Amino acid sequence: MNQAPPVNEKASRSLSALGKLFRTTTFKLTLVYLTVFALFAVALLGYFALNTRRLITEQITDTVNAEITGLSEQYRLGGIRRLVLTVDARARRPGSSLYLVTTFNGDTLSGNVTALPPGILESNGWIETPYRRLDETEGANQPIHNALVRVFQLPGGFRILVGRDLEERERLYDIVLSAGRWSVALVIVLGLGGGLFVTRRVLRRVDAMTETSRSIMAGDLGERLPVDGTGDELDRLAENLNIMLERIEALMHGLKEVSDNIAHDLKTPLTRLRNRTEEALRTAASESEYRAALEGTIEESDGLIRTFNALLMIARAESGQARDDMAEFDAAEVARDIGELYEPLADEKGIALRVDAETPAMLKGNRDLVSQAVANLVDNAIKYSVSPDRPADAPPLEIVIQAANEGDRVLLIVADNGPGIPEADRARALERFVRLEQSRSLPGSGLGLSLAAAVARLHGGDLTLGDNAPGLKSIIALPRAGPLQMAG
Amino acid sequence: MPSSDISYNESDLGRNAEAQPDRVTMRLLIIEDDRDAADYLVKAFREVGHVADAATDGEDGLALALDGQYDVLIVDRMLPKRDGLSVIGELRKKRIETPALILSALGQVDDRVKGLRAGGDDYLPKPYSFSELLARVEVLSRRRGGRNEETELRVGDLQLDRLSHMVRRGEEEITLQPREFRLLEYLMKHAGQVVTRTMLLENVWDYHFDPQTNVIDVHISRLRSKIDKGFAQPLLHTVRGAGYMIRDGAR
Repeated sequence: MNQAPPVNEKASRSLSALGKLFRTTTFKLTLVYLTVFALFAVALLGYFALNTRRLITEQITDTVNAEITGLSEQYRLGGIRRLVLTVDARARRPGSSLYLVTTFNGDTLSGNVTALPPGILESNGWIETPYRRLDETEGANQPIHNALVRVFQLPGGFRILVGRDLEERERLYDIVLSAGRWSVALVIVLGLGGGLFVTRRVLRRVDAMTETSRSIMAGDLGERLPVDGTGDELDRLAENLNIMLERIEALMHGLKEVSDNIAHDLKTPLTRLRNRTEEALRTAASESEYRAALEGTIEESDGLIRTFNALLMIARAESGQARDDMAEFDAAEVARDIGELYEPLADEKGIALRVDAETPAMLKGNRDLVSQAVANLVDNAIKYSVSPDRPADAPPLEIVIQAANEGDRVLLIVADNGPGIPEADRARALERFVRLEQSRSLPGSGLGLSLAAAVARLHGGDLTLGDNAPGLKSIIALPRAGPLQMAG
Repeated sequence: MPSSDISYNESDLGRNAEAQPDRVTMRLLIIEDDRDAADYLVKAFREVGHVADAATDGEDGLALALDGQYDVLIVDRMLPKRDGLSVIGELRKKRIETPALILSALGQVDDRVKGLRAGGDDYLPKPYSFSELLARVEVLSRRRGGRNEETELRVGDLQLDRLSHMVRRGEEEITLQPREFRLLEYLMKHAGQVVTRTMLLENVWDYHFDPQTNVIDVHISRLRSKIDKGFAQPLLHTVRGAGYMIRDGAR
């Protein structure tokens, strides 16, 4: 009894597996095709069988008609005697023709047929009837044959019956019928078998995909769907899904990195904040010391707020929300305005700031965000151009803000002749919070370039960092028509 | 940002005779559902000599504001019962034009635009510093004074002609760049009031973002060198931890 449940369970599991098999699209399609093909085969063979039968019947009737014509000719020529002789001669021949000549009251004069059911001779025309040949020994075990016969009235009350055995026709018909049955059975068996095979094959691959996607859902983003290299539709689907997974993994990785960085960049000042407050509580003696500690606290929290705002801004730019309030504006004007905003600051640091933006460069976008992006680039250029180890004989520092039209794009370029960024570090510099070694000591959230890049992407453009030989050349390239609206 | 810019404490300002704003007592209504924040604001405004009431939901706030006895409303955007924008909208529908400043945790450009469209007069994202809020509220309360229409602004012996764009101090004519002119104009329009860096960036440059470096300070020091250099009495003052103020110190 204890053994029973697992067996049941196993049975029900295999039953449910079978149920799964039967529910698949492939299997349903197989069934539909199978039905169609079976019906077709039945129809074809049925048509063939019926036609064969008709053909044989026609042959029989033709032969019988010819014989009747011949026999009535004999009768006309030589009377009943000649007819009987002819029939006797023909009836003795081996073969399947049947003959019977009777008088008007039914007495047999000649022939090779007996055991006809009564009334046959009274009928006229074609008739199917059981019979027995005269030369067959009588017995209950003798099979009764079937024949197609025709009764013909001769002048003088004589009747002549001519017929042919139908066994041949029935045998052929049976052969065709049984061939039909077998082939339909074969079609069904092969079809079902093939269907199950294909279905199971597809099901196995779909199951493998389902399995993989389950483990991906469970958190293992590194998994990929199996591709068996046949290039069929399932492979193509798997390949595309894999590309999607690749992208999701990259995004997740980015997200994780960002949250790690946020944690780091927010934790550091938070820790400093806490330490400073704690230290003030522990050691400050005078009001002015408390005041200094509190001022430091506010300064730290302002820095935190600024970092936080920059992060929100990037998130907003990346989610595409700001696309709603885009309007036509002149990028050259933005370049001039930002130049004007930063000129005094650059001047104070001994940097000449020049704006090269005479011709209007109209584009559709968010002016405030683009201004901020350019401002961040200029800010960085000012911050990082000045370095203590700049040789004394180096040319004077200069920053050029340029707005230019290039095809269907507008370029906003900020170029400096400071130390620049080594080529190997440029891609990394665009990442959030990344502050290259040489800049660690300078203030800033490390988000300026990321924000500029996010703004460029929001507009359907990009930010590239190039070599100004010497110095850094940051280029924001924006499509004039604004971002393409996503379809759907 | 130098740390000395950060602190803002009224007793400190009170002692600093050189840069004390001309302060007229205001009646304020704070509609804010966070009771701690509301209490903090009420207390802080009282300390600087203003009178402040607080309401903790939109319906109460609207009822109080309908009396029209306030100089400025400080309205949080997300409130129970009735949200901040709808409170302001309802007031404007009833022709009550009390200036309203919107506080919001949603510190984004389009939220600001939405807030101003709904009838708000200024917008301050959370978290804010009290000095920023105070400066903005004081500017709002005075906006009804009609100083906007004057064609000539005067602070001490400094004159600014808004039509001819002429600036003179005493007998001396001062040449300013267009942006310096607008900066001075804004400061003089709010003479005797503290004007924060963000306010300058918003009103003089029309930027609503936070530049990483404090670019405004450099513009101010340039302006200062043009209008104050060589004169015994400085007019353009730095208010520690808050911003700037133009004022006739001789009065």
